[in-house]
Amino acid sequence: MIGLVTAPQTGLNFDALMRTHQSMVFSLAYHFLHDREVAEEVAQEVFLSLHRNLRNIQSESHAGFWLRKVAVQRAIDEGRRRARRPQVALDDVAEPSTHDAQQDPLLRDRLRRLIATLPESPRAVMILRYQEDLDPAEIAEILSMPVATVKSHLQRSLALLREKLARRSMGEL
Amino acid sequence: MDWLEQELKQALDRKDPATDFAERVRRRTRGDGFRTALWPQRWLAAAAVLMVMAGAGLGYRQYQGNQAKEQMMLAFRIAGEKVNHIQAQVKERTR
Repeated sequence: MIGLVTAPQTGLNFDALMRTHQSMVFSLAYHFLHDREVAEEVAQEVFLSLHRNLRNIQSESHAGFWLRKVAVQRAIDEGRRRARRPQVALDDVAEPSTHDAQQDPLLRDRLRRLIATLPESPRAVMILRYQEDLDPAEIAEILSMPVATVKSHLQRSLALLREKLARRSMGEL
Repeated sequence: MDWLEQELKQALDRKDPATDFAERVRRRTRGDGFRTALWPQRWLAAAAVLMVMAGAGLGYRQYQGNQAKEQMMLAFRIAGEKVNHIQAQVKERTR
């Protein structure tokens, strides 16, 4: 029974929530920070926070929403704290080097690297859109930003990725 | 959804944390509980230390008071002896 915590009002069980959502929380942090070790640390902090706030969680779906919101916020905070990547304008995002591309020719790896170099807001939007398959309204709620801003981040990020990939393809010819 | 979005979905698929992830979180939640359970004891210990310090302070002030009283009594005794001595000398000269 050690470690089992159940909220008396809702019957939500901490262990069950962790089993259900650990991949989601870890992946949000991992795709945002691009560092497995740091992502695990962030994910642990998110679940510790859930453990302390379990009585405020009203339902299973509320838990999912809460975990996404806290995971993204913690990942952003951790990214800022570490300041591993200086913030740059979306248009100035660098392409991965040719050397890296030769070592890692897979398109998905390139995409992950490109996304990891996006500024924090578009990065969070892209990860929530394509990892979690959320629509712009849901993303806007999680990130507390207008839906129009979410759509703009999505459009600009996709255009930028297309441009970077096209430029790369031209370079490889 | 075009080819790029399909690729993005694949690139950003969910990944599993280490196999002992849940156990490590559980361990830390037990640590949290332990720390929480220790809070009243910590407050009691801090209060006890404060009371001992306050008691020691009061005792020291009392000791200082007694010392001052004894020094005052000694000063009165010396002054009294001097006065007696002067009175005796005055009496002898006036005789």
